Amino acid sequence: MAHIDPDQLWLARAYIYQQIADTARPPTVDQVAAYFGLSRSEGEALFQELDRVHALFLEPGTLDIRIANPFSAVPTDFRVTAGGRSYWANCGWDALGIPAALHADATIEATCAQSGDPLPLTVVDGQLVPTDAVVHFLVPFADWYADMVFT
Amino acid sequence: MLFRSEELIDPWCAARGRARGEVLPMQTVWELSQRWYHNRLSADYRGRTAAEVGVIFREMGLTSAFWEMGGDPQAPQK
Repeated sequence: MAHIDPDQLWLARAYIYQQIADTARPPTVDQVAAYFGLSRSEGEALFQELDRVHALFLEPGTLDIRIANPFSAVPTDFRVTAGGRSYWANCGWDALGIPAALHADATIEATCAQSGDPLPLTVVDGQLVPTDAVVHFLVPFADWYADMVFT
Repeated sequence: MLFRSEELIDPWCAARGRARGEVLPMQTVWELSQRWYHNRLSADYRGRTAAEVGVIFREMGLTSAFWEMGGDPQAPQK
C-alpha cells in the first residue's frame, strides 16, 4: 500500500464529515480526491485506510461510505432532522449522536423495536426532552466490530 | 435498539432467541452521545482507542463486563 500521510488522512476525514453535515450525503472518492488534488488511486487509499482505522465504514467490496458514525449513508429506522436537513442515524444511540455532533437542536423520528409505536425524541438547547424510552445494547463492546451494521 | 419502555425488551429478545444485553435510559444515552460525538466534526479529531473508550464508559458508570474491551487497548473505535 502506498504511504499515507497521517495529516492528509485526518484532513480527509474532517472534510468527509463536514460534507455529510452540510449535505446529509457522504462524498465519493472522486470528490475527495478532487478536493485535495489527489489521484483517484490516492483517494482510494485514503478511503481504505479510514475504513481500516474505523474512522468510517465502507460498504463491503466497494468504496462507498456506508457509515460515518453517527451518520448512515443509507436509510434506517432513525431519521434525524437538524439544522434544516434530514439525516439517517445508525441506531438509537447514533440518533442522539447527530445533534451531539452538530451541536444543534433536533427532532428524531424512530419507532419502538417491539411495539412499532412511534418514539419521537427531541433535543432543544442542548437538552433531551424527557422520555421513558430506553436503548437496548445487544452486542457487548468487545464484539462491536464483528458486524458494525448489526451492532 | 429503541424501546418505548424497558418491559418490552424481554419479549423482543425471547422472540428472537437473543440474550438480553444492557439497557440505558435515554438521558444516559444522550450524555454518552455528547461525550462520544461532541468533537466528531472537529478538524482535530483523530479517532479514539479502546482504552480511551474505556475511560468514557467508566466515567459514565458503565462498569459491567458488557462494557469491557476485548483485546488490543489501542484498537481504533467508531
